[in-house]
Amino acid sequence: MEIFVNGAARELADDLADPALPLLWALRDLLGLTGTKFGCGVAACGACTVHVDGAAMRSCTLPIGKLEGRHVVTIEALGSRDAPHPLQRAWAEHQVPQCGYCQSGVLMAAAALLARTRRPSDAEIDAAIDNVCRCGTYPRLRAAIRAAATAMA
Amino acid sequence: MKRRTLLLSGIGAAGAVVVGWALLPPRERLGGVDALPVAAGEVALNGWIKIAADGAVMLAMHRSEMGQGPHTALAMLVAEELDVALASVRLFDAPPDRLYGNVATMVASVPYFHPRETEPGNETGPAKAGQWVVAKIARELGINLTGGSSSVVDSWEVLRVAAATARARLLGAASIAWKLPLQELVVVAGVVSHASGRSAHYGELATMAAATPSGEVRVKRRNEWKLIGTSPPRLDVVAKSNGSAVFGIDVRPPGLVFAAIRHCPMLGGRPGAVDVAPALALPGVERVVRLGSYGGSAPAFAVVGKTWWHAQRGADALAVEWRQRSAGALDSAAIVAALEARARAAHAADGGFTFHSRGEIAAADALAARHVEQVYRAPYLAHATMEPINCTARVAGGKVEVWAPTQVPGLARAIAAEAAGVAADAVTLHVTYLGGGFGRRLDVDVVGQAVRVALETGGRPVQLVWSREEDLGHDFYRPAGVTILRAGLGADGLPTTLRITSAGDAITPRWMERALPALAGPVDTPDKTASEGLFDQLYGVANQRISHVATRMGVPVGYWRAVGHSHNAFFSESFFDELAHAAGRDPVDYRLALLKDAPRHAAVLRLAAERAGWPGFGLSRPLAGRARGVALHESFGSVVAQVVEVSIVAGKVRVHRVVCVADVGTVVHPGIVAQQLEGAVIFALSAALHGRIDIEGGVVRQTNFPTYPMVRLAEAPTVETHLIDSTRPPGGVGEIGVPPLAPAVANAIFALSGRRLRDLPLRL
Repeated sequence: MEIFVNGAARELADDLADPALPLLWALRDLLGLTGTKFGCGVAACGACTVHVDGAAMRSCTLPIGKLEGRHVVTIEALGSRDAPHPLQRAWAEHQVPQCGYCQSGVLMAAAALLARTRRPSDAEIDAAIDNVCRCGTYPRLRAAIRAAATAMA
Repeated sequence: MKRRTLLLSGIGAAGAVVVGWALLPPRERLGGVDALPVAAGEVALNGWIKIAADGAVMLAMHRSEMGQGPHTALAMLVAEELDVALASVRLFDAPPDRLYGNVATMVASVPYFHPRETEPGNETGPAKAGQWVVAKIARELGINLTGGSSSVVDSWEVLRVAAATARARLLGAASIAWKLPLQELVVVAGVVSHASGRSAHYGELATMAAATPSGEVRVKRRNEWKLIGTSPPRLDVVAKSNGSAVFGIDVRPPGLVFAAIRHCPMLGGRPGAVDVAPALALPGVERVVRLGSYGGSAPAFAVVGKTWWHAQRGADALAVEWRQRSAGALDSAAIVAALEARARAAHAADGGFTFHSRGEIAAADALAARHVEQVYRAPYLAHATMEPINCTARVAGGKVEVWAPTQVPGLARAIAAEAAGVAADAVTLHVTYLGGGFGRRLDVDVVGQAVRVALETGGRPVQLVWSREEDLGHDFYRPAGVTILRAGLGADGLPTTLRITSAGDAITPRWMERALPALAGPVDTPDKTASEGLFDQLYGVANQRISHVATRMGVPVGYWRAVGHSHNAFFSESFFDELAHAAGRDPVDYRLALLKDAPRHAAVLRLAAERAGWPGFGLSRPLAGRARGVALHESFGSVVAQVVEVSIVAGKVRVHRVVCVADVGTVVHPGIVAQQLEGAVIFALSAALHGRIDIEGGVVRQTNFPTYPMVRLAEAPTVETHLIDSTRPPGGVGEIGVPPLAPAVANAIFALSGRRLRDLPLRL
């Protein structure tokens, strides 16, 4: 089986590519893309958020069998060291992460939001970023999303 | 010039302070030049600092990064003294050595001393003697532990002196090599130079420096700091924004297989008959390993698979006949009722262990104009670190390699050795980033489990990851507690007597039994964490008796961020608010009247009142439909006041704004302190509004985030932080924002609705 991740077709070993296998584990355990995190397994915390055809989706409950013809983007391809995504710049500017574990998911959710809504309101940010952060980085990540929206305008 | 003169005349020219060794940490905490392993081209200058061939400063990082910023703050101390750029400091895992033990945390857990006895520089004789003895023992034990908000507190002196010593050696070497006086040498970004044009980076001087005595070592004076007190970018921010930061769950050694786990769902229960065939029949499942108890873990089965999902499917498929705890099923409601009965009995009979007493409480009670007495309760709580519990291990050829997100690398190594049946020096331990700790990773249960599983995987590494359900169902929970508080008020409404009797399980003896069995005694000694935040509060009440009844209810208990303070501050600061209202006084004025001998606390409270616009301190009023509440609490050597503004919408409490003022002593990185205070407020808000673990039939009812909810962005308040300028030694930072939040919210709810909530979580 093949899935398209970060612009490339990736082959998954047939004996392991059960169509029910959630994308999260294909990414982490078969493809070595560990930036996408496991937090709850029931799509409740958002740590596993990736983009599927540009939309933020929780990969822990998304079977790979439903990915035919669809494009997955993970945190590893959100930006690069030389050209970070405006959100990643804002994350550094606002010193958002503490433990950092949930941040990949938050960044992917925020990037999908900004891709469809150039200047989101607080209510739109609240609705789009439903991720759990135990360290409580919420005030900073809100400020960073606003800053990135301004930078992208 | 003679060499000795060259060495001694040096850094003083830059105006640095000469600190006598008597004031410095003992030399043994610096370690010798042979304390660190060195690769080709590296030179160790003491047990903390190596110099790389390219001149980079390498720091033995002995504390775990779980979000509180010690990697950045500790590197700052070293960069400051060595005059190098912070971003150029390279961190490596400190080796297993007593040198890296945490002295501050053990000294802080000496029981019986009230903060008035341990004020830095003004310690009483017994307190000083007690602290000296414990520090001595702590150095001997050398337990490397990240916790107790102690990383900067513990390393503040030793790391600055280690770096200053390294610098003195490097400059001494340059002085000798160039035959130039020390005081004419300057250091910029790790390059030593002289007006004559001579210059060399640290790497070029390191070999000679290792053989050059440091002479008299001086650390920089406060007014010479360039880095301490500023907020450079955290060292971990970029990696934590692009997915490249490696947490425990992210290590991928070649040949890795994965394991999931199923513990006996009933706390204290055990497995009976098991059928592993349905699990082994699933594709991608390799084997099932029966696990005994490691570091306090419940009996369990681990299932090894090709991916974690395959392994977890196998774990779900196991058919196990679980057996209930032989002493009867645990039930949290029954436990809380039993705690209340124990507390009431002790309160009536002066029972329990008394952590603090002063004055003549009975005589003063007889003179009191009236009394106020209330009962407060707190539930069990889980940690729910975002990174699920995990550990990766490989056992091959008599050697064990472990990758663990742990707060206690030495204890992790010890349990790994025990589980594999090898000597500790056969274990190599790598500490990864921790996706949250909050005290959960002071336990090493999963390390023992992972190594046990790795004995069965034919030399291949295995990564054991607990599902969220297993995490919430098998945590070491914050103990439930019931506390009775009684005050006698004088004619002026101020308390003349204070009697507090709390009941709950002691954490430290249980933790010692499972994580540090060599030191666990046959009898529990009083655990200061049970009464911290009650016996050590600084309100001027002349007659006090503060006691705790230590119970053993059978639920596994552990350290949870801010530990005893996390609920005891709720009890005491809600109760003092009740007293203010009983006296018909403003809650801030009332507290200030009780803080005449505690100017540091009064200053923090006053500033919080000013910044929040508290009546009498500012002009801003809460919006219609909102009210404010205040709380003040000292923990881990720092003092924090919070003023919160709440409303109640459709029967639900909404916290809009939190003003947080802290005196944390000397601040190394104000940005990280602010970040910690903001985060702790939100962490504490989840517990205050939502947090409870219920146990029925021995089984934890909460299974995942839908039933153990957290505050999310939409529910998060704005948090304004302000720090008091201070020249005290650094106090704790990572936990101190937690304790005042719940009582401040409860006090605001009272101000708004007239309802006094005495049980956590706060439910209308």
